[in-house]
Amino acid sequence: MTLLALRAAVARRVTFGHLRTRLSVLYATLFAVALLIVAAVAQIMIVSHARSSVRAELTSSGTVFDRIWSLRSQSLIASTDVLARDFGFRAAVASGDRATIESALLNLKERVGMGSPFIVTLDGTVVGDGTNTIRSTVGKLPFRLAVGRRDAVVASGTGLYRMVASPIMAPTEIGWIIFAVRLDGAEMRALEQLSAIPLTATILGRDMRGRWTPATESSVAVSEALDELVEQAQTRKGRAPETIDLQSGQAFVLAKPLAAADGEPEAVLLFSYPVANALAPYRALQLGILLTGLIGLILVIWGSRRLATGISRPIIALDKAARSLEQGERTEVPVEGADELGRLAESFNKMSAGIVEREHRIAHLAFHDALTGLPNRVFFREQLDGALGRAVKRQGAVAVLCLDLDGFKGVNDTLGHPVGDALLNIIGAQLGELAIDGMVSRLGGDEFAIILADDAVPGRPRLLAQEIIDRMRQPMQAAGHQIATGVSIGIAIGPDDGADVDTLLKNADLALYRAKQDGRGVYRYFEPALDAAARKRRQMELDLRDALRFGQLRLEYQPIVYVQGDRVGCFEALLRWEHPERGAISPLDFIPVAEETGLIVSIGEWVLNEATRQAKQWPDHVRVAVNVSPLQFRNTGFLSLVFRALAQSGLAPDRLEIEITESVFLDSTEPTVALLHRIRELGVRIALDDFGTGYSSLSYLRSFPFDKIKIDRSFITNFAENDSAIAIVRAIIDLANALNMETTAEGVEDEEQLEQLKLQGCTSVQGFLFSRSIPSSEVLAMTDIEHLRAAA
Amino acid sequence: MSKQYPRVSAFKAFLILPALAATAAHAGTVDVTVRASNGRPLANAVVMIDSPGRRDAASRFAGPHVMAQQNIAFRPEILIVPVGANVSFPNRDRVRHHVYSFSTPKKFELKLYGREETRSVTFDKPGVAALGCNIHDAMSGFIIVVDTPFAARTDAAGRVSLTGVPAGRATLRVWHATLRAPGGQIAQPLVVTTAPIAKTVTVSAR
Repeated sequence: MTLLALRAAVARRVTFGHLRTRLSVLYATLFAVALLIVAAVAQIMIVSHARSSVRAELTSSGTVFDRIWSLRSQSLIASTDVLARDFGFRAAVASGDRATIESALLNLKERVGMGSPFIVTLDGTVVGDGTNTIRSTVGKLPFRLAVGRRDAVVASGTGLYRMVASPIMAPTEIGWIIFAVRLDGAEMRALEQLSAIPLTATILGRDMRGRWTPATESSVAVSEALDELVEQAQTRKGRAPETIDLQSGQAFVLAKPLAAADGEPEAVLLFSYPVANALAPYRALQLGILLTGLIGLILVIWGSRRLATGISRPIIALDKAARSLEQGERTEVPVEGADELGRLAESFNKMSAGIVEREHRIAHLAFHDALTGLPNRVFFREQLDGALGRAVKRQGAVAVLCLDLDGFKGVNDTLGHPVGDALLNIIGAQLGELAIDGMVSRLGGDEFAIILADDAVPGRPRLLAQEIIDRMRQPMQAAGHQIATGVSIGIAIGPDDGADVDTLLKNADLALYRAKQDGRGVYRYFEPALDAAARKRRQMELDLRDALRFGQLRLEYQPIVYVQGDRVGCFEALLRWEHPERGAISPLDFIPVAEETGLIVSIGEWVLNEATRQAKQWPDHVRVAVNVSPLQFRNTGFLSLVFRALAQSGLAPDRLEIEITESVFLDSTEPTVALLHRIRELGVRIALDDFGTGYSSLSYLRSFPFDKIKIDRSFITNFAENDSAIAIVRAIIDLANALNMETTAEGVEDEEQLEQLKLQGCTSVQGFLFSRSIPSSEVLAMTDIEHLRAAA
Repeated sequence: MSKQYPRVSAFKAFLILPALAATAAHAGTVDVTVRASNGRPLANAVVMIDSPGRRDAASRFAGPHVMAQQNIAFRPEILIVPVGANVSFPNRDRVRHHVYSFSTPKKFELKLYGREETRSVTFDKPGVAALGCNIHDAMSGFIIVVDTPFAARTDAAGRVSLTGVPAGRATLRVWHATLRAPGGQIAQPLVVTTAPIAKTVTVSAR
């Protein structure tokens, strides 16, 4: 755990700007660490080896010394024994023949070659040459010697002496020969010669304070370490060489206590070997390791830098390419090698190419229509904006053509969307061919738009519009179908027709709307009036919504009089709108708006409810007729609406008459007929309004058994003077009679018309001759025909 | 060689008689046990009681006094002889011996002689003579020359019993070859009673 934490801590503190540096440092560090370990291990082993070999040498020297010492002792003992055993000598000692004794001792001395012999008698008398100090020591020796011991190293005065003792048996112990040899430098030198390594041998004796000090000249100084060493040497069995600090530095030492007569040793033999000397032979090795390590380190640093550069160069290239890609610029990364880096570079290249390509595609998609590939609305607006700006600067003009396909919805519905899409594609392509000098874009659905910038050819917009209309008139082949459509075009020229994109587009749209209104398949230029008209229309729509909400609408009723009997059979409900500011607004103005905006449905609902409610208050024999727009019919809730109105008002169903025009059948005949039947089942009457003005009035008569046909006013006006008009009317009446339908003539304004109609057999009449439309409150009064005439 | 018996002079016999009479009248027994300092009984120690006026060792220790060399050893190891005794030194070994003594009571040497029974030495001073053989270092023997008749060697148990010791003041001496003391013996005063006395003497021996 700690190791991870450590690594993290190091990583945090130590960051590198370059991969190269990081790698170099890493490798160099690793190598340095490895080298250090090797060097450390080597050093440890060298030191250990040196130590152990010196120790071994010291120990073996110690062993050898033991042997030599003992041999020497034995030799001395042998020499003294020879004399001690001599009978004549024994006799001399026993008889106290001093002269003989002394000469015998002298003889012995010469025989041995060094040292001083003494005789010590039982009573402690010492015979022999020597200082008083030595004699005193010698004299005590035999009595101190432990049983069985024949030799000892004793201190006497300032010197240390090896002494051997031979008992003089005559036949019992009567004395001893003591031979004393001083331990000095010469002895030590002799010992040193024996060792393979240049040891230094020193004899240590106790000084006055009891501390160990060299008895001979030496570099060994008095120290606690020394005392301790000697202590240890005495106690431990296996005396191994130790390291202590001497004056000249650290040294391996072996201390050999020399046996005393009794008790504690009085002398210690110290072998010493400086540590530095031990390690000296290995200096060369250590130096070699160090040197090799340094060279190796340099090599590693250099090598790792090269390696790191080799690794980091492609990475740096990748890094740079990535950063430039970030900026939006694509750069290729050179692919070196077939390893991970090479593969990475390749992948990066592919990836960045892919990114760039996708970016382009996205940009393209953002600005182009997916289906046709033409510029989309967003792009179109941008371009138009730019063109407008340039036009303003150059004081030129920009023409916008808004195109709408006529009857495209029909194609989609009848042939399916795939065909519709194919058609759009083809149209798009054709537009592009025709408007090479402009920018064709698809705004959505079946709407296209073309921007024509100001150019040399005047009237180009007009020409282009006509070309397009002509081309679109011809049937096209799309997805295996032969399709004929048309196109309506609205043209607006900016900056006159609009200084900004929104205004210009709106006006081009208005022009398009006008083109559609004018029958489709044509082009129209924008006129400011269009704008006004459009504004007016919009305003009316808003007002109409308010009208419905705030009860500005009301119903008036125009009576429909039965020809036979002169009584009012029915009242047609007519919608009136009292605008708070503008006053009465004609239904001719607001009904189309209502139908365009779909308000007609809610208005129609209101009308039905209101009419049935008011009609409930009328006499039972009087019906109420309500106009119903095709839009209301298409609304799925119409049937239940009728039902609700009847239920809520309580009006008997057969008192309600619904007037519909032929346009109700335009979209789809069957559902309409089905609905009519169901309304009929309720008991409600159905009348066909504006008969004769539509396209196939007769066939509609066939499809449904209407209760009534209302002859359009256009047939009634001036019909009294016109024979053909009379004939037509008669035909209609006959037809209706034949089909068991009532007839109502609209727009009857004079008596002549009335007489004629009577003659023809028209069931009922409607018009100003009898009454204008009146409010519900006056209806009751009018049910009497007398009042009717009077009112007229 | 024919034995030579020591002659006892008539004068000396006269001297003994009253002593004997006196002895019989006021005499006691002294049992002495000699122990070493570690408590072990010390065998082959010689216990002597010096009673005043009693120098008639010869009466107690009659001859012949023989210190033989047999099997490269002195036999007996310890011989108690009265002052003036003549001790013969027969060599009963096949090898020669060179008997010597440098002790103060008698310094002598019988130079290398073979199997014969002719050598003898007279010991006319009291004391302890340590005998050795020049050739055979291991040979060791002791002749204790006493003038008091009250002397005996301790047995294995370190015990010795001396009878007829006149009552009164006396000196008890103990000698042993290994005794650490001048002359190898220690002395202590002793009061002898008619009743038997048991005494234990502890000596420091090597």
